[in-house]
Amino acid sequence: MRPLLLKGHERSLTQVKYNREGDLIFTVAKDKEASIWYSFNGERVGTFNGHGGTIWSIDVDQETLLAVTGSADFSAKLWKVETGENVFTFKLNTPVRRVEFSGKNDRLLCVTDEVMGFKGTISIFKLNYNDIYTQDSTPLVSIETRENFKKVSVAAWTYNDKYIIAGHQDGVISKYDATTGEFIDSAHVHEGLVTDLQFSKDRTYFITSSKDKTSHIVDVDTLEVLKTFETDAPLNSAAITPVKEFVVLGGGQEARDVTTSSMAQGKFEARFYHKVFGDEVGRVKGHFGPLNYIAVHPKGTSYASGGEDGYVRVHEFEKSYFDFKYDVEITAEATKNSSLNDDDDQ
Amino acid sequence: MILTRVKSHHRPVVWAEDQDQQQPETITNADGTKTIISYKTNEQGKKVKVTQKIKLVVVKESVNKNVASRKKWAKFGSERGNAPGPDYRTTQIGDVVTLRLSTDWKKTEAAAEEEKKSEAAKAKSYSGIKCRTCGGAHYTAKCPFKDTLGSVDPAAANAEAEGIAAAEAAVASGKYVPVHMRGQDGGIASEQERRDRDDACTVKITQLNENVDEFMLRQELLARWPIVRCTLVKNRETGRSKGLAYVQFQSEEAAQNAIERLDGQGYQNLIIHVEWSKPKKNNV
Repeated sequence: MRPLLLKGHERSLTQVKYNREGDLIFTVAKDKEASIWYSFNGERVGTFNGHGGTIWSIDVDQETLLAVTGSADFSAKLWKVETGENVFTFKLNTPVRRVEFSGKNDRLLCVTDEVMGFKGTISIFKLNYNDIYTQDSTPLVSIETRENFKKVSVAAWTYNDKYIIAGHQDGVISKYDATTGEFIDSAHVHEGLVTDLQFSKDRTYFITSSKDKTSHIVDVDTLEVLKTFETDAPLNSAAITPVKEFVVLGGGQEARDVTTSSMAQGKFEARFYHKVFGDEVGRVKGHFGPLNYIAVHPKGTSYASGGEDGYVRVHEFEKSYFDFKYDVEITAEATKNSSLNDDDDQ
Repeated sequence: MILTRVKSHHRPVVWAEDQDQQQPETITNADGTKTIISYKTNEQGKKVKVTQKIKLVVVKESVNKNVASRKKWAKFGSERGNAPGPDYRTTQIGDVVTLRLSTDWKKTEAAAEEEKKSEAAKAKSYSGIKCRTCGGAHYTAKCPFKDTLGSVDPAAANAEAEGIAAAEAAVASGKYVPVHMRGQDGGIASEQERRDRDDACTVKITQLNENVDEFMLRQELLARWPIVRCTLVKNRETGRSKGLAYVQFQSEEAAQNAIERLDGQGYQNLIIHVEWSKPKKNNV
């Protein structure tokens, strides 16, 4: 396959997202613009200009009407996707590390950094779609980092927007009630910073990635680790592929060590693991820096990776990807088919 | 599906025929395909019959309404006003990357790597380096049979022209001797010898053809005068001549004579300049 190289950012990428239909790709980097691309040909539709610092995170709502960006300039901005117009700015006390729309598009969560004496907080804002220019800038709920907990690095909504799952700096995963902000449960699953947290399509389980070189699939209700994927490099991102039962992990050596080692040692590859069997089944090379974020097309036909090297690479899966099956899968299908035929005979 | 068959008629083109450029003929076939026959004149001036068989296939693609409407969006932000379509500055197609999914992908990857390495080693062995001692694919100095087979025959080196012999001798002594330091015998000139060397007899030849080498200078251009040294200036990296040579004659008269005879003469398609390498004190 020949990937599309999207070179719209001058600095390293921080997040890459597809919209619900998968026709648009949203990318943000450590420069001050967010870029929107057509996924089918890599054309840049436009940019969101207005932030005064690194943009750490971006998300787009289910209807692709509004997008939100969280930036190191202490703000989260709402944008009209079609025109790139900044419709509202939420002012916060510290840099915004993660933003995400709820599944029903009625709320928005912002993870803020724990610096300058402020507690790390997950703020949930209510969204007003009737008049997008006037939003309530006081959060519905503020979930402050609890006592004895390290700061929150990532957070996301679960199924039905019922809970919020947060990943902490020390590898702990915690669960909160999304409406009351009440703490429910926590589990110590990683030994290092939780770098990413992405949900399955039905949002009943999620995959985490960590600097401790492992990735876990965790169940929402029990916070039980269902699967573990071990690698040989610190991970920055992990995604679950629809259609095929894979997970894609990305990472590599720390950015600061990159210049002192060769590309082969850097392990700057997207790794494909089988979600159920847990084996590594393939790798995709290409980036010449660590992969900072991986997003998979909602229909499972392609994936995009954003790297420390400033490139976004969009890979369209080939037929061999969809054809790949384990021997046990093939046998199981064959026996199933033959038993069906037997039924017909009788 | 387009099938193109080109049939060429081998006969000279009459000017009048150019005029009757026939209209393409379209035949609708029974199976729904179309055959278009047209004539044109190719670059060799021959008339060519082009038969195209065309089958039209309508591919219907249903696209989400929202996706279709989003494709018509005007560009905004930093892209405002830019023409639709991917811009090569922001969108490029990368090199081919492979994703071969298999449970033992590590093995296949390692095998591919091994193959690459062996191929590279193979290519290296054919790099054209030949040892003068044993004929193997390595430098003479690194020959493993250096001690048993002995070094290159010194008599053969002596047979070469004087300048080349000097270089050989310098190499044989294992050390590079800059040209200006070389003595008459090719070795390092003593301090006294160097001081005594008479630059008064040295002549500079410029604007030489690049193809002229030292041997040609000695054998053709300067054959009639007795020469002490002759040095052609070459680019150190590429080894190509810079078109400049310094020649030391045995006597000043010979040098003077050479300047008078050769300056402004044509040699190998170029007018060469011959002058004293240093301005003459008594001449000025």
